[in-house]
Amino acid sequence: MHDGLDHHGMNEEASLAAALRALPASTPPRDTWPALAARVRRRRAVRKTVWFTLPAAFAACIALVMLWPLAPQRAPSPAPARVAQRPQPAFAGSPAAPDIAALQARSRQWQTWVQNLDDNGAPLNGGALAQAVALQDRIGLIDLQLSASPDRIVSASLWQQRIELLQRLGALHLQPYAVADHANHKPADTMIL
Amino acid sequence: MDTPSTFQQHVEPDLVRRLQCGDLGAFEAVYRQFEVAAWTLALRLTGRADVAQEVLQDALLKAFERARQYRGDAPFAAWLRKLVVNEALMQLRHDHLHLIEVFDETRLDEEAPVPWALVDSAALDQALNRLPDTARAVLWLYHVEGYTHVEIAREFGRSVSFSKSQLARGTKRLRELLQSKVEETPCTMG
Repeated sequence: MHDGLDHHGMNEEASLAAALRALPASTPPRDTWPALAARVRRRRAVRKTVWFTLPAAFAACIALVMLWPLAPQRAPSPAPARVAQRPQPAFAGSPAAPDIAALQARSRQWQTWVQNLDDNGAPLNGGALAQAVALQDRIGLIDLQLSASPDRIVSASLWQQRIELLQRLGALHLQPYAVADHANHKPADTMIL
Repeated sequence: MDTPSTFQQHVEPDLVRRLQCGDLGAFEAVYRQFEVAAWTLALRLTGRADVAQEVLQDALLKAFERARQYRGDAPFAAWLRKLVVNEALMQLRHDHLHLIEVFDETRLDEEAPVPWALVDSAALDQALNRLPDTARAVLWLYHVEGYTHVEIAREFGRSVSFSKSQLARGTKRLRELLQSKVEETPCTMG
C-alpha cells in the first residue's frame, strides 16, 4: 500500500483527498430558487420605489423653495416661538425658511448617500429587506404629506422625520459591513481573483 | 494538484453577458448550473443546512447584482466559487468559528491503514461534520477545491502556518474520529 515513511504523508493526503471528493454532492432544498428569485424581485421593487420617490421628493423640495416667498407670512410672535424653543430646538427657535431649506438639504444628502449604498453595497438579507421596504413606504407617506404643503412647523417636523428614516435605511445597508468589519473580513467586492 | 472541484464548469460567454445585463432568465440558468456545486461547498464549509442556505442565496444574489464587476480575467466559475467561499467564511466568523487551538500530542499509529479508506461515505460525512469549523473548511478547501495554503491563509486572513496546522490537526482529528468507527465495525469479509 505505502512504500515508505517519506511517502506515507503524501499517500495519506492523496487518499483523504480522494475520499472527500468521493463524498456525494447534494442538492439544495427545492424552495431555494423561488426564494432567491423573490429576493431579486423585491430588491428591484425597492429600487423602483426609490427611483419613483426620488424625483417626487426633489420636485416637492423645489416647489417648496420656489413657492415659499409667495406663501402668506404670519406676523412674528416672539412669545410662542420661545415657548416652542425647548421641545424642538432644531427649527422652532427661528421658524424662517432657511431652517426648512437646511433640513431639505440634509434630506437630499442622506438620500444620495442611501442611494449610493443601495447601488453599490452588499445585498440586504430577507429581514433587512423587509425593513427597508417598510422604511421606504414611510418615506413615501411623508413625501405625500409634504406635497400637501403643510405649514412650516409641520413641514419641518416631516423633513426631520424623513431624515431620520433615511438614516435608518442607510444603517440597514451598512449592517453587512458592520458584521464584516467586526469579523476583520474584507467584503467580496475587494477580493483579488 | 489535481482536484476536480464541481465548480470546474464552463459557462457560455453569452450567458455571462446576459447575466451582466440583469437578465433573470440568465440568472436562473447560472443558478441551475451551479446549484449543486455551490450548495455542496456552502454545506461543507459551514456544516449546517440553514447557514448553507443563507450562504448560497447571498452569494448567488451578489453574483447577479455584481456580475458587471466580473471582467473575465478568470473563469466565471472561479469567480462564483470565490463569492461562495467568502460568504461562507463570513458566516463562520459571524457565528464565531471554532478552531483547533490545542494540539493533542497523542501519537497515532502512522503505519495503520488510513481509516477513511475503510469506512463508508456516511461515516466520513458524519466525522467531517464533527470537526471544528475551521479545520473542516481548511480540509475541504485544500483537498477538494484545490486551494493552496497561501490562498487559504488569505481567505482566513491568517498565516500560511495557520492553514498548515489546521490541515494537520483536522486530518489527525478526522483520523481519530474514524478510527473509533473502524474499531466498532466488525470485519465482514469472509
